[in-house]
Amino acid sequence: MADLSSGPGTPVAAVKRTRRLWGSESSVSALPWLAPALALIVGVVIFPAGYMIYNSFRAISKSGVDRGWAGWDNYASMLDIGALGRVLINTAAWVTVVVAVTLVISIALALFLNQRFPGRTAVRLALIVPWAASVVMTSTVFVYGLNRYYGIINQALVDVGLLSEPAGFLETAVPAFASAVAVAIFVSIPFTTFVVLAGLQTIPAETVEAAHIDGAGRVSTFWKIVLPMLRPAIAVATIVNIINVFNSLPILYAMTDPIPGYDADTTTTLMFKIIQRERELDVASAISVLNFVIVLAVIVVYLRVTRPMREV
Amino acid sequence: MKHQPKLAVLAAATSILLAACSPGAPTTSGGGTAEGTELQLLVPQYSDATRGLWEGLIADFEAQNSDITVALQVESWDNINNVVRTQVQGDQAPDILNLDSFATFANDGLLYAADEVVSAETLADFQDSFKENASLDGTQSGLPLIASARALFYNEDLLAEAGVSGPPTTWDEVLDAATKVSALGGGTYGYGMALGSEEAQAETSVWVLGGGGSWAEGGEITANTPANVEAVEFMQTMIEDGATEPNPGSQDRSPLMNVFIQGKIGMIIGLPPTVGEIEEQNPDLNYGIAAIPTKDGSPFTLGVADHLMAFNNDDGAKREAITKFLDFFYARDNYATFVTTEHFLPVTKSAADVFSDDPQLSVFVDLLPGAEFYPFTNAAWQDTQASIQTLIGQIDQGKDPQEILDEVQAAADAVE
Amino acid sequence: MTAAIDRAQALGRSTKRDATRRGERRWLLTAVGVVIAAIFLAPYVVMLIGALKPRLEILAVPPDYLPQNWRFDNFVTMWQTVETPLPFNLVSSLVISIFGTALTLVVALPAAYYTARQRFRLRLPFLLLVLVTQMLQPTVLAAGLFREFTQVGLADTWLSMILVNAAFNLSFAIWIMHTFFSSVPRELEEAAWLDGCGRLGSLRRVMLPLVWPGIVTTIIFIFIACWNEFAASLVLLSTDTNQPLTVALTKFFGQYDTSWQYVFSMSLVAIVPVVLLFALIERHLVSGLTAGGVKA
Repeated sequence: MADLSSGPGTPVAAVKRTRRLWGSESSVSALPWLAPALALIVGVVIFPAGYMIYNSFRAISKSGVDRGWAGWDNYASMLDIGALGRVLINTAAWVTVVVAVTLVISIALALFLNQRFPGRTAVRLALIVPWAASVVMTSTVFVYGLNRYYGIINQALVDVGLLSEPAGFLETAVPAFASAVAVAIFVSIPFTTFVVLAGLQTIPAETVEAAHIDGAGRVSTFWKIVLPMLRPAIAVATIVNIINVFNSLPILYAMTDPIPGYDADTTTTLMFKIIQRERELDVASAISVLNFVIVLAVIVVYLRVTRPMREV
Repeated sequence: MKHQPKLAVLAAATSILLAACSPGAPTTSGGGTAEGTELQLLVPQYSDATRGLWEGLIADFEAQNSDITVALQVESWDNINNVVRTQVQGDQAPDILNLDSFATFANDGLLYAADEVVSAETLADFQDSFKENASLDGTQSGLPLIASARALFYNEDLLAEAGVSGPPTTWDEVLDAATKVSALGGGTYGYGMALGSEEAQAETSVWVLGGGGSWAEGGEITANTPANVEAVEFMQTMIEDGATEPNPGSQDRSPLMNVFIQGKIGMIIGLPPTVGEIEEQNPDLNYGIAAIPTKDGSPFTLGVADHLMAFNNDDGAKREAITKFLDFFYARDNYATFVTTEHFLPVTKSAADVFSDDPQLSVFVDLLPGAEFYPFTNAAWQDTQASIQTLIGQIDQGKDPQEILDEVQAAADAVE
Repeated sequence: MTAAIDRAQALGRSTKRDATRRGERRWLLTAVGVVIAAIFLAPYVVMLIGALKPRLEILAVPPDYLPQNWRFDNFVTMWQTVETPLPFNLVSSLVISIFGTALTLVVALPAAYYTARQRFRLRLPFLLLVLVTQMLQPTVLAAGLFREFTQVGLADTWLSMILVNAAFNLSFAIWIMHTFFSSVPRELEEAAWLDGCGRLGSLRRVMLPLVWPGIVTTIIFIFIACWNEFAASLVLLSTDTNQPLTVALTKFFGQYDTSWQYVFSMSLVAIVPVVLLFALIERHLVSGLTAGGVKA
């Protein structure tokens, strides 16, 4: 079937008419379409963002009073944090594992939910529950359930025979971190699955059937036809997941906060601990800026490498 | 753009309508008119009785003072510091705040001095030991609100079963008793050591101060003195000998207390509200309260005080209203109601007798005169406390106590 | 017989044997679906059981699975707790989420459509600006937001949170709708243009039905994001009757004890509106199947 998206190969006459609908225009006539979005972004986001960057160069007292220019001191203090190396490694592991595993499982689930079978709606409804519940609430249940003493999940694992006695899942850095990764994957799957599912449903059934008639097996149909057409949806899901997981606070905070040291922290939880415990807003602002720069870099690299949208 | 504007206008109109109609129109501080003054009161949540208590007090106050209204905001302990700090950053500090530490606000010159916002009688009513802890450089800017002392709660049945004769009074006795109770097995542990970040400084201070060490001498933080190191080493010994529950470094006090109340822990440090908790959750628990064991057996308790503080917004415009409210609050009957409902210890002389007929709380009251406090009037204490909370739990992983305390000292020294 | 079947299959018509196999296969899929649903619902079943226990049983060491004293009244008493006015919190969450979602869509759709179709010089910078704002989450910007809204006099109002939610969710809406708009062939719009529609007409008549799955996903995502927002709500909304469910939940965490039964019951109640919303629009995800096809 011919590729019908715009680009080379479209009949000339159609191109000419389309151009009259969408002639090349100056950026000014873009304004009515973009103005509300720009207004919201500039009005609501830019000011606080600027304030955060501004704060990272100021000395702020523990009660929140601005005490004057601090130059690069906050950034220096941040680099002085001994655990920073470990924290950066944790952050990389956190984002990579959660996003990758979520994506793989979600694509499988989306393919599954694209099929018709009795009870499909019920399964879709069940899948939306972890997404509907706030991450704080879900983390709270796991913190409660994995507690060594009164945790019901722990008890269940013992009763089923997987454990001989309740385990301290959240008591040391590595198991707690692993548990948090599992929970993060758990809460990220629903959203990712639905984005991929929406993408699947814009793939015309005829295309897939044509491949079958041409003799392609199901697996190669998937790899050669379906997956490439899913690229935009996967790209969106990946980018949003990278950003959300990177900035994710509640899961790690709920599950690793009592643990001493910084061995289970990512840059976001480190920043939060510095606000909560040391009450150093200025250093925390510097870490936020660092966070932002890292996410920005990651996304830019991702976009460059994968070029998921030829149109863009 | 034909149907777009209609939708947009509809949305805008509804939003404006909402802004006007949302309950609780924006309350800005500095709402002082000729007719009335509004005070912003921000308090943390001690228990589920807290909100009701304050609302009752406010209702009575407003009935007696028709020209003053008090807007109450209650936040959980986890959130209140963020909320207050954001408000201060945005020049919207509350008028009256209930919090543990006031030193940072006082250092920034944000507070009224105590004698500016309470009458002379009220000021004289505070117990002297608390007044000292509420002063910074000789000026008192914190108003002691409630006090708490720590004591050793012990499970009489478990101790008897383990063959321990009575509650321990020295460190050696604690180690001995706790090891024996842990040896009973079956998920029972001898001593519940709570070194999770929630309140690690309290548990650590129990041992450090009880061993004759101290956190500050003469205005300087002294975290890594030999006496302190010895105390932390003893804590590590307790953990390594199996006298405590596993992984104490990540156990917060509140969940651990629950385990004690269910009868699975032999000994734990508790506070006055614990008495009420036990009564509510497991009244059949056979327990006793004793003084905290010290290295040499001499009496000691850790004192904790929370404070009220008044912010000087608007150059003293609301001072009179604030004074009226605070005097009302500290009046004997009002204050006594507050203190007894929340199960805390009174800080005023007039209300000192409020627990005289309660045998268990009397134990705490008797311990209070000998209490040692955190040096929270020291500007570096906040950082010291934070680094204790973050680092001390690592002793359960075998990290060297001297190293940990050196890091704490470094954090304190870094504060200029 | 076999030849007949082969011919039928080649023509795309189903045979009776196919139908049986398909039927069996469908029930196998259902079985797998049940397992999947159970996995994703498990923590919330734990929550439900916890909500039906009295506080003391929740923290029992070791725990029992089922309550010994069933406390259905937890779901009744939670509406009148001292800690927080739950009916107001629920209304607050609903208002902020509904209007936040609506505002996001109204602003995002034109922008996404225009950037998908029109090449103009600032197109890429605009899209990147939008993406960058996604990376800034309200958590780190809470203090700045508080300052800003206080200065324009909108602190402690629902409108402030509606604007905040719309602004921070704009980027997701624009990006995903951009993707969906881009994947629709221009020829279809062209057909509408031949019928005399302008850009808006073609947007409404041609594009929207085709990208409906994307819109539905966007609605769900943004509603949930607004519904579960916490950090900015905490600092911008100080009166308890203005606070949404996420903030109200924290009031049950006392200094020394936590009312777990209310934490769980409120969390469950908070899930209901979202699931309801999803149940209402879910079939539009399905109808995308037929709308998304392009006849050869």
